[in-house]
Amino acid sequence: MVVVDSETATVLRVKGLLEFRCQLDGTDEQLVRNVISRTFETLRSQVKSESCVLAVSDSPVIIWPNKDAYATPEEITPSTLCEDMHQWIQADEQESSGKKSSKKKSKKSSVASVINLRLMTEVTKPGPLSAPILTKTVLKSHFVSVTLPLDCVVCTGRSDTIKDACEQLIEALTHQLCEMEKVTLQNMKGMTLLVPEPVHFLLPEPKGLVTVVYPVGVPDSQLVAQRKELHQQFELPDDRPYFRRANAYHFPNEPYKDGYLRNPHLALTHPTLDNGKVYLVQGIYSYHHYMQDRVDDNGWGCAYRSLQTICSWFQQQGYVELPVPTHKEIQQALVDVGDKQASFVGSRQWIGSIEVQAVLSHLLGLTSKILFVSQGAELASKGRELANHFLTEGTPVMIGGGVLAHTILGVAWSETTGQIRYLILDPHYTGAEDLQVITDKGWCGWKGPDFWDQTAYYNLCLPQRPKVI
Amino acid sequence: MGRGYIVQDDVEGYLSKLCEQKADPVTGLLIGQSSTQRDFVVMAIRTPQKEESAAAARNSVDKEWVTEHARQVSRMLPGGLSVVGVFIITNADAKDALTTLRQLLFAVENLISSEHLWDPADDDVTDCVTLHINPKTRKTVCRTFDIKDPKSVAKPADWKYQSGLCSSWATVSCSLNVDMLLPLPNNRTSTGNMEECLKEGLKAWAHQIESGLCLIDGKRLPEDSELTVGQVENKRLTDVIEQCGGSVSVTGAIHSRAYLHSNKPKARLAEKRDVVSTVATRVQMMLEELLASDQESKGSCRDKQQKGLFCLPHRIFCPLKVSGPLCVCDYQFSDEGLSEVTERLKEMLDIDAAEEDLDTRQEMTFEITGCDITPGGHRVCVCKVDMHACVLCPDCPPFCCLGVAMATAVALLATAASMLYLNDI
Repeated sequence: MVVVDSETATVLRVKGLLEFRCQLDGTDEQLVRNVISRTFETLRSQVKSESCVLAVSDSPVIIWPNKDAYATPEEITPSTLCEDMHQWIQADEQESSGKKSSKKKSKKSSVASVINLRLMTEVTKPGPLSAPILTKTVLKSHFVSVTLPLDCVVCTGRSDTIKDACEQLIEALTHQLCEMEKVTLQNMKGMTLLVPEPVHFLLPEPKGLVTVVYPVGVPDSQLVAQRKELHQQFELPDDRPYFRRANAYHFPNEPYKDGYLRNPHLALTHPTLDNGKVYLVQGIYSYHHYMQDRVDDNGWGCAYRSLQTICSWFQQQGYVELPVPTHKEIQQALVDVGDKQASFVGSRQWIGSIEVQAVLSHLLGLTSKILFVSQGAELASKGRELANHFLTEGTPVMIGGGVLAHTILGVAWSETTGQIRYLILDPHYTGAEDLQVITDKGWCGWKGPDFWDQTAYYNLCLPQRPKVI
Repeated sequence: MGRGYIVQDDVEGYLSKLCEQKADPVTGLLIGQSSTQRDFVVMAIRTPQKEESAAAARNSVDKEWVTEHARQVSRMLPGGLSVVGVFIITNADAKDALTTLRQLLFAVENLISSEHLWDPADDDVTDCVTLHINPKTRKTVCRTFDIKDPKSVAKPADWKYQSGLCSSWATVSCSLNVDMLLPLPNNRTSTGNMEECLKEGLKAWAHQIESGLCLIDGKRLPEDSELTVGQVENKRLTDVIEQCGGSVSVTGAIHSRAYLHSNKPKARLAEKRDVVSTVATRVQMMLEELLASDQESKGSCRDKQQKGLFCLPHRIFCPLKVSGPLCVCDYQFSDEGLSEVTERLKEMLDIDAAEEDLDTRQEMTFEITGCDITPGGHRVCVCKVDMHACVLCPDCPPFCCLGVAMATAVALLATAASMLYLNDI
C-alpha cells in the first residue's frame, strides 16, 4: 500500500492494463500456483524493463522511466520538477458537475493536484531483428487470460524531480503486482480465478491516500476479515467503515457519471461566530431536489428529496449498497410497513420525518432519532444537540414542519453566546446542477434562526450510523 | 470538379509499351497513394499472363484472375502505397471498356478491403480510378468511382504526367516486436481451426496497434487523439480460465515501412496499417502453406503434430527504379532463395530486379540451432500491454531508418530458443 501525506505537492496517478496470459498444462494446485507466480514475475520484469513507458495524459510528455527517465519533448529532463509538468498539461475541462468559482477550488480536497499517467509498452526496437516464428502446441490444457487493471498513486514533494518520480512509480507498480499476485493466489478455487483490482481510499490525516487490492466480484460482506486487518494496520476506529468499495476515493478530476452534485456546501464560506464552531456533515452526499430524474415533484416532493439525499450519504459512505430509492419505491416501502394504504403509491402526498424514519429503517435497516420542537423559535436552542449529532454521527438531518421540508447539513454554534446558524440544503430548487447558481442563490447556504416558521412545530429526523466497518 | 491524378512519367512509357503488344485487352493495376488533397500514381502493373490460356481466352478479361493478382500485389506494397485503380488497353468501345473497368475496380477494391484487419477511417478516400487507353489512338479516358457506393457513377478525372514525383517522399519505418499467445479451442486443433484462432487474435492485436501511440522521430504531435480516455474495460469474470486444446503463438519482430507524400498525421495511420498487414500477410501465407501441405499428406493423421514450429517468411524490400525512396516488398520463406523472390517480383509486379538490388537486411531469418523444452514441458508466455507506443529511432532522419544491432538480434534468439519444442515430423 502506498501512503500519501499532506506534504505532497503533486500526486501522480498511473493507470494501465497489463495482459496476463499463460497456459496451464495440468490442474495440480502447486503447478498452477507456480505458473501464475511466474507469469506475475514476467509482468514485473516488463514493468522494470526499458520498454516500459509512461505517457502523461492530456500532454505530449512521454517518459521512459527505466532509461534514466529519458523523456520527450526534449525540454523535459530527468531533473525537471514534477510540479512543472503541469505546464505541459492542457487545461482541465470543467467538471461536468457544473461551473465552479475558481477562488473556492483550493478548499475542495485535502490531496494535492493530480497528474494522470498511462502505462504503456514500447514495441519498437532498433532493427534488424529476427522474423517472427509461429509455434503451435496441441495439448489439452487450460488457458488463462486476464487483463489486470493497474492503478497506482505516488506522492511527490516540491523538490522531487521526474527521475525521483519514476523510481517511485516503478516501485509502486511492481509492488502492486506483488499485491495482485497475493490476492489472486489467495482467491484461487480450483480452476477459477478472480481478477484483482486496486481501490484507493482517503484516510484521515496524516495517513492520506492508501491503495488496497480487492478481488473483483467479491462483495464487501465477504471481505470483513480483510477490512479488520486494515483497520488494525492503520489504527482506525472499528465502528465505522473506511475500506468498503463505496468508500473509494473519488479523484477531483474524475466526473461523477450520475450527474448529481456532490457536497455543494464545500464551495461556501462558513460563518464565524464569537466563540463559535462549525459542525458539519461528514463524508459525501449527493444533492437531490425537485424535478430531477424526470420526476415533476414540484410542490410535494421536498421530503422525498431530503430522504434521497440522506440515502445517498449512506450509500456513498459504504453502509448500504442499495441505490437511492425513487419516489415510488419510497411510497411502496411505506405501504409495505403498513404505514400507508396501497393507493399511496403513485400519489403526490407529502411525507414527514416519521415517514422518513420508517423508510430509512425498512429499506436501509437504519435507526434514526426524532427530535421534536413545538415552535420554530425553539430550534435556536437546539444548538448543542445538533452540534453533537454532527460530531458523532455526521449524517444529514431531515427537518419537516410548517409546509416545508429541508435538509440540515451542519450548524455553526457558539456555546457561550448561543448564536446559531444552520447549513441548509434546500430540496425546492428546480434548476440544473449548476453549483454557481445553487450557492449564489442560497439553495445550499447558511441561514439564521429566522429561517424557520417561528410558530410552526417541527420534527427532525437524525439518522444514526450503524457501528460496523 | 473531379479528382486529379498526378502520375510518375515512367508510367507513360510503360503503358505505351503495353499498347504495342498484340494482346487485346491488356488489363492491369494502378499503384499509388490517395489523400483528400492529392492523388498520385507511381506505378502501373499489367495483369500477368495465365499460363494455360487459350488464344480465345486471351481476348477476354478474366475478372477472377485480375482480382487475385490484385490481392497478391496488395501484399507486396508497403504502407502508404495501395492499388488505387485499374487500367485497360483495348480497341473496344469506350462505353464497354468503362463497364469492364467498373466491374474490375469494384471486385478488386472489395477483395482487398475485405482482407484488411482494420476499420476504414472516416476520412479515408474511397474514390478509385479507371483508365482506358486506346492502343491505336493512345487516347486515355480517366474516370473515378466511389467504391463505397455500389451505385456510384463515373466521374471525370485528370490524368497528368510528372517527372521526379517520388523524389521528395518521406519514409517512415520501425522494427516492431510481436508477441501473441492464443488458445486453440478444445478438440479442434487442425490447421483450419488454427486459422480461425489466428484471425481472431490478429484482429484483437490489430486493434491494439490501432489504438496505440505512434511517435514520429520520438515526438508526439499535439493533435494526437489516438488514446481514448476512459476505455471500456472488459472484465470477464468467468472467462478468466478456459479449457483449451492447445495454443498458438507468434513471436518475433517485423520491419514496417510506409511512404508518404506529405501530411504527417496520416503517416502514423499508414505506418500502423503496414504493421498490421505485414504480420497478417505473413501469417496468412504460412497458413496457406500449411493447408497445402496438409492436403498433400492426405490429412490422415491431422493432429499428429503435437508441437510445431514454423518460421514465418521474412520481408525483403526492392527499390523501384523511379528516383526516390520507394520500395516494394516480398516475403521469402526460409527454404527459398533470392532467385525465387526476383521471379515473383517479375511475375507479379513486372519489375526487373537483380538479386543485388534486394534489401535483405531489415529482417533476419531465424535459424533453429537447437531445441529446448522447459522443465514441466510447458511454456509460459505473456502478451504485451494493451497500449503500445511505436517509436521510430529518435536519432535517425525521417527519410531512412536502418539500424544494425546484432546484439539485440542475439538476445532475442536466446530467449526464443528456450521456448521451443521439438518439431515432430
